[in-house]
Amino acid sequence: MEKQSGYTWKLGMFVTIGLLLFIMAIYFIGKQKNLFGSTFHITSQFKTVSGLEVGNNVRFSGINIGTVEEIRLINDSSVVVSMVIKDEVRKFIKTDARAAIGSDGLMGDKVLTITPGVKSTKVIENNGAIASINGIEMNDIMKSVKKSVDNVGVISEELAVFSQSMNNGNGALARLVRDDKMANSVSNTLSNLESGTKGFSENMEAAKSNFLFRGYFKKKEKEKEKQQEEIKDKKEEKKEKAAKEKEEKEKEKQEKLEKEKQEKLEKEKQEKAKEEDAKKVQSDKTK
Amino acid sequence: MILSLKNTFAEIGDATLFAKRFFKEVFIPPYETKEFLKQCYYIGYKSFPLVAITGFIMGLVLTLQSRPTLVEFGAESWLPGMVALSLIREIAPVITALICAGKISSGIGAELGSMKVTEQIDAMEVSAINPYNYLVVTRILACTLMVPILVFFADAIGIIGGYVGINIHGDVNFYRYLSQIIQSLEFLDVIPATIKTFFFGFFIGMIGCYKGFTAANGTESVGRAANSAVVTASLTIFIIDMVAVQITDLFF
Repeated sequence: MEKQSGYTWKLGMFVTIGLLLFIMAIYFIGKQKNLFGSTFHITSQFKTVSGLEVGNNVRFSGINIGTVEEIRLINDSSVVVSMVIKDEVRKFIKTDARAAIGSDGLMGDKVLTITPGVKSTKVIENNGAIASINGIEMNDIMKSVKKSVDNVGVISEELAVFSQSMNNGNGALARLVRDDKMANSVSNTLSNLESGTKGFSENMEAAKSNFLFRGYFKKKEKEKEKQQEEIKDKKEEKKEKAAKEKEEKEKEKQEKLEKEKQEKLEKEKQEKAKEEDAKKVQSDKTK
Repeated sequence: MILSLKNTFAEIGDATLFAKRFFKEVFIPPYETKEFLKQCYYIGYKSFPLVAITGFIMGLVLTLQSRPTLVEFGAESWLPGMVALSLIREIAPVITALICAGKISSGIGAELGSMKVTEQIDAMEVSAINPYNYLVVTRILACTLMVPILVFFADAIGIIGGYVGINIHGDVNFYRYLSQIIQSLEFLDVIPATIKTFFFGFFIGMIGCYKGFTAANGTESVGRAANSAVVTASLTIFIIDMVAVQITDLFF
């Protein structure tokens, strides 16, 4: 009998620990799948679920709060996704929260993300439905890419026609680019034009001193002077104002600085006094 | 050729009858509880160190071996999940079953074979004790129940071995490691693997007992019984494993 009890307790321990390991594994896996503990359900309707599967995670503010329980087609253009979510986060999900489908990492699983709403303060009910945001499908991206690629095609075609006519055509611009003679003659024309305008300005100066035109030019100068004087007056007024304001500000600053200095001095005095007290106390103790 | 084929089939038929007899007698009293517990102790508790060491090494080695490939993909963080999955689904059950086939099946084969050769079994029959009930039923039952528990231990220790393997190159918190493993596990990984181990246990015990019980007269047949018990049990484990994996694959 003694011999038997020698091994039975070992056997019992062995079996108990083994079964405990198994039960723990089952419990933790179940906990991760939200099988135990209180949960609630919500649903959301999507046009497409982009490969979401039953068992994928549901995230709220980046935290895994539940799993996708069922995905069901209700007609040809809408899919209802129902999810199990931990009861403890229910108070944070309001009726205007929205669900979106994203992907987890570069080649990871799909994830259902719940984004909090803004206005509502009403907590969502069990089996309640929330709105959905339709994610960007690869098709949509491709469509917009195709549009811009088409435009690029048109532009490059026209560019080709343009450069062709530039290289081979006989238009003025083409010749200007290609022909050395043409370029020379254009630059000659420009220099002629320059000397012409110089001569013209000299002519004008001469005209000013001519008695026939003198009266006209004097009138113009007087008008100009008047305008300038008015502008000057305004500027001076402004300057005076600005100077006054500056002075006032500086005064205030100085006052403040003085006050601060005084306060600092007082504080330092107080601290010194405290330290001295402390030293005295210490010296008393040591004595 | 035909004769040997016929012999093989005859043996399979014999073994089937032997197994059928087990299912018939397991429910018929008297129940040999004391002998059953003793066998559980020998089969379960005594095999534990062997299984623990193998499990630890399998976890460690598997982590170190699969690490370079995963690093190449930049998926090092999947290492715990991958190691735990392969350990729990396949490696721990099969390795544990093979070790038990080596240790238990040969032991039972040799023990029952020598009893048969020295006519102890006949003596029991004469003294009105059912030798099948006393020797075979207890052993098969103990095997069937103890091998799964050994596999649980191998799983757990293998996971600890994997943790050690990961910490050779990096630094991962044990809690983080465990939570990563649990995240990657599902019931579908644990339950079929566990069911599989019951079959492993049953066949290890059954083949060992059958080979011992049907040993021919003569000392050399004891060795032959032990030897063929190990070989047949190992082979059967692989066949069962293949069938089990295919069945789980079919249904899930």
